[in-house]
Amino acid sequence: MMIRVLLAAALAALAAPALAQRLAADLDCKPTKQALVYDCRIALKESGSGKPVSGAEVSVGADMPSMPMAHNVRPAKAAPTKQPGEYAARIELEMHGEWAVKLRVGGPVRDQLILHYEFDEKGAKRAMRGAGHGPHGAKHQ
Amino acid sequence: MLVDLLQNTLDGLMLGSAYALLALGFTLIFGVLRRANLAYGPAIMLGAYAATWVHLQFHAGFLVLAAVTIAGAALAGAYVERLCFAPHARRGRGAGDAGAIASMVGSFALWMQLEEAATLWLPKHLYSFPPLYDGPPLALGPVTLRVEYLAMLAAAALACLGLRRMLARTRFGLAVRAVVDQADAARLAGINVPRVFMLVFAIASALGGLAGYLIVAAHEQVTPMLGMWSTLKGMIAMMLGGLGSLPGAVVGGLALGLIEAHTQWLFGPQYRDLIAYLILFALLATRPSGLWALFRRSDAPAQ
Amino acid sequence: MDEYTLGVLTNMGLFSFLALSAYLLLVAGEMSFGQQAFFGVGAYAAGIGTAMWGLPLPLAVLFAMAAGAAAAWLVGLPTLRLRGLYFAMATLAAAEMFRILFELFHYQRTIDGALVGPDGTQGFRGIRWVLERGIEQESFLALVWALVGVVLVALAALERTRLGATLRMVGEDPELAAVLGVNVGRVKLAVAAAAGALAALGGALYAHHNTYVEPRNFDIMLGVHGLAYSLIGGLGTALGPLLGVAIDIGLLESTRIFQQYRMIVFGGLVAVLLIFRPRGLLDEVVVNRIAGALRHRRTT
Repeated sequence: MMIRVLLAAALAALAAPALAQRLAADLDCKPTKQALVYDCRIALKESGSGKPVSGAEVSVGADMPSMPMAHNVRPAKAAPTKQPGEYAARIELEMHGEWAVKLRVGGPVRDQLILHYEFDEKGAKRAMRGAGHGPHGAKHQ
Repeated sequence: MLVDLLQNTLDGLMLGSAYALLALGFTLIFGVLRRANLAYGPAIMLGAYAATWVHLQFHAGFLVLAAVTIAGAALAGAYVERLCFAPHARRGRGAGDAGAIASMVGSFALWMQLEEAATLWLPKHLYSFPPLYDGPPLALGPVTLRVEYLAMLAAAALACLGLRRMLARTRFGLAVRAVVDQADAARLAGINVPRVFMLVFAIASALGGLAGYLIVAAHEQVTPMLGMWSTLKGMIAMMLGGLGSLPGAVVGGLALGLIEAHTQWLFGPQYRDLIAYLILFALLATRPSGLWALFRRSDAPAQ
Repeated sequence: MDEYTLGVLTNMGLFSFLALSAYLLLVAGEMSFGQQAFFGVGAYAAGIGTAMWGLPLPLAVLFAMAAGAAAAWLVGLPTLRLRGLYFAMATLAAAEMFRILFELFHYQRTIDGALVGPDGTQGFRGIRWVLERGIEQESFLALVWALVGVVLVALAALERTRLGATLRMVGEDPELAAVLGVNVGRVKLAVAAAAGALAALGGALYAHHNTYVEPRNFDIMLGVHGLAYSLIGGLGTALGPLLGVAIDIGLLESTRIFQQYRMIVFGGLVAVLLIFRPRGLLDEVVVNRIAGALRHRRTT
């Protein structure tokens, strides 16, 4: 079985690429009554044109930039809402702070997006990039 | 231009005094137990978090907060000592020194544990902390000095002198020196070696707690990054100054502060860290006995 | 298999490369706090290879391993004479330097209308080779574990050879090894390079799994965890590090009950475990006993 899988991977490697499109997304997360659980709305669109992408299968996961691979947040399947290109999902994080939210998009369009959001008890906002250097992670000493 | 240089030097010394205090505690453990305590910073953080909680609940004054930080750090340190250092104290002191590795890894495990406990207790990413002195920084002509940092410098100097005095003049200090020289001989001479280790650990953690209080009061905020940051700075300063040497710890801390202040002014924060690490690396590769040993040839490098 | 399990298993495989990298050095008697740097070098090198130079994945991975080995050799050379905590601190300093260099590294190209490449603290987006070929998660998982298997087989073979014995001897008693004519310095450098290549392999795969890497991924936490997994799982066999990975990421992180308190539980477990097994669960004594029992079974 292993050989078959490796052969398939090798053949796929030689095949023509571009089985994925470039998408963009915006996240709007609101806190719920439970701590660290958020209801998120994802606005999925095409990267260049900004056209909303409907009918895709979206799953939402998250990882922490500082300890990748060790925080295994359960990916949640996002359900489409009435708005075109909008999906809703409920995610549960392990702690507050900056998370790299990973959107896996399948179906008619395929892509994988990583978005950095800062989560606290009020919700989520786009993270300001740039690592910290002082004892408190960011800004001045 | 000269004013900038002077201000940066002063800033560096003030920053370095924090590092020196941190390094003193770390060095005490390393110098006496010959083991590195990776849970040092997190124990300090737990003390600082305890003080933050007290501040949030009771709005206590600075003496209470300082006491809580020191006590919290000492308690956390005692926990670490009992679990990770006491059980391995007698294991092989030979070439492999399995005991040292086991203690270090154990302390790493407790580092993770204490950090998680702290963030579960107070989950926010930032808490404000009351400053030690609620006034403007002191102005000495064209340069400014901050009171907290002056307190740190004084504390570092006093702690270093106090420790040396204790080591040289008291019975306990004699016991400590005997243990450092030859733990087995000390044991045979009737010294309660485990008790000596425990007390040294407590003193070191309390020193760390004092450093922690002054640092968070100076920054007026507490964040979860404090743990790892404190351990790192303490370790780097200790290495710079020379492993296991108390005056070396102070020298190393001040040197680190000076390096950081000047390089940050000249090149920015990223280069500041880069150059500090580069200097540490170069020093380790060429003169592992540290800066202090460059001046005191009689002090053999602790190994 | 659901997406979550796939993710956990893949992460375990990727982390295994890092843990095995630390393990190799531990067997040679050195504790490194810096293997995460080579994991990062591998990630960036492989990412640049596929996303910017158009290399196919296998070539990019080989390039990444070479880069990791070279970087490890560069760090190993000046630190050859250091032991114990000195060596550990030197590797930590070196690793942090690498991480800061990643923060300062800007190298971008416009490919297919999009800006691709490492952009300092913003990270390196668009490592889409695996994604664009429609390689499913299951296939990638199989690839990762197939490569882990290859490494395990290689390490097991190494244990049986003279080089493997030399390696363990250098770790246990370098003075004795030197007296017996072993060039301790050369052995340590070779091991450092091999460990660097191993970590880089993990990093290369990680980059393609995630499609995005940033300097913060490769900080001290990553390295110290890899080291801890080796020390906890045991230094007697290459399966030790894997056991450590399995206990933390596989067991604790994934079970609902423990997830919130994972570190408290894991940390406490490790500290207590080390009191009784200071060289890890599968340490040399245990492994020898198991090997002996297996040999006995075979002959009776």
